[in-house]
Amino acid sequence: MAANWYSAPAPVARRVRAYFAPVNRTAQTPVIFDPAQLWNFSLDSPPAPWISLGWIQDFTRKPTGKMSSLLTGIPAATLEQVRETVGAQVSFQFLSWTKLTMALATGSQHMNLLAPSSGAAAAADGAQAAAAVTVQSGSTATFVALAATDAAKFTPGSIIALDVDNTGATGFVGSPVSGAYLRSAVADVDYIRRITFNVAFVSQSASAGLTLAGPLLGGAPAAGEKLQAVIGFVDREGGSFYQEWSALFILQGSQGERIFFYYPRLQTITGAEEPLVPLDIKKKAGLNRVLLGAQFQALPVTDPLDGERVVCYRSFVPAPNALV
Amino acid sequence: MQNAKDSFYVALRTRLIAINPERTILLRGAVRPGILVEDAEAPFSQLPNDVFVLRWLGLAVDMDLASAMAAEECEIVYQTCGTQSFGGLDRGRALSEMDEELTAMIQPFYTAKLNFTAQPPSAMLTQVFWDEPGFGPITIQRDRLTRTAKVSVYSYQEQGE
Repeated sequence: MAANWYSAPAPVARRVRAYFAPVNRTAQTPVIFDPAQLWNFSLDSPPAPWISLGWIQDFTRKPTGKMSSLLTGIPAATLEQVRETVGAQVSFQFLSWTKLTMALATGSQHMNLLAPSSGAAAAADGAQAAAAVTVQSGSTATFVALAATDAAKFTPGSIIALDVDNTGATGFVGSPVSGAYLRSAVADVDYIRRITFNVAFVSQSASAGLTLAGPLLGGAPAAGEKLQAVIGFVDREGGSFYQEWSALFILQGSQGERIFFYYPRLQTITGAEEPLVPLDIKKKAGLNRVLLGAQFQALPVTDPLDGERVVCYRSFVPAPNALV
Repeated sequence: MQNAKDSFYVALRTRLIAINPERTILLRGAVRPGILVEDAEAPFSQLPNDVFVLRWLGLAVDMDLASAMAAEECEIVYQTCGTQSFGGLDRGRALSEMDEELTAMIQPFYTAKLNFTAQPPSAMLTQVFWDEPGFGPITIQRDRLTRTAKVSVYSYQEQGE
């Protein structure tokens, strides 16, 4: 057998696609992306636990590490270079507003606005919530089994948050994504459902339970977990919690080549920003699209291959038939 | 460059069959999908209605690359008078339908480059790719609505081309 080849010019790409996966904050373990095994995954169905956040724009990578010279001799000349610091920043804009994109684009913890109980006192991050209902056995990641009287409380089109009761937890809370860090216990029994990423859109309701439009991040809920309706989302400027995620950005070239930028640990470094982009560039005072601006600091990991501390891996899989 | 033009046309034709198999044209005694290349047919005194007509216009070549890249401008013209059963009052809807079909046909924005001088067509090494279409305004001539969309089609020149 023989192969033909061609000399490939620089890749031509349309857009950048973003995927995120939760870092295990308690164990400080990022999610590994292995390009040797996963180089050709379908961009529309990433391998678990990676979550597609769609196309992004204005993707910019900025190395912030510093190198300096070791000088010797008279007059001095560079003998060697040394790396003083390792660092990198990434910034881009999300093109959609979802629970996850909002959370990633805020510099603080992100919460669900739980549907309030009748007559509850006003609160900036949502009043006391209406009582949660208990999940029954037989649930899956896309179906929540409920008692008939509980199922009747939810209509198709509603949003739900599903997690355990808060019984005085401290440290990182929320599963599988740590949504907050509690230095001391809080009294709100619904607190974990306020910060959980286990949210979904209800596509169908029946007496047996709720069918969800997409799978829950946490997979099939265990019996005993509880469910509450969500009105929307809220985050705050301030606070001490930093989101931390593993991130993967992919540029797909016109010839099928792929460039991967894998950041094992990214933490948000700015507060929430909403850049406005006019729908018609000739009418800047007209309609604007409201984007979510995000900026991240890459944190280091130690590569087990050789013990080096690094913040990002860039991989390139050439196009078929292209000379390398 | 001809291989790229042929591949682009055949890709759109194949996609149109899947999107709307009922859009056809009787041409030279044969019923074909409703898309054709103007320079590969006998000259038209009047473009046919309710089909997509591909017209190749500009050309640019970047030769400062490892493989020369050609950018060919394709104008896609389509027009309609609506249907007889509605007395042409549905011509706006008919044009919208063609807008949607073209938007669907154009995605994904690439296709394999094939050499159609061989039978069966042989796969080449690279892919033909293009950008989003630029839709022009509707032009109205009596009861005929016409729209033109322009697409830049890119390809790398391979050995033997």
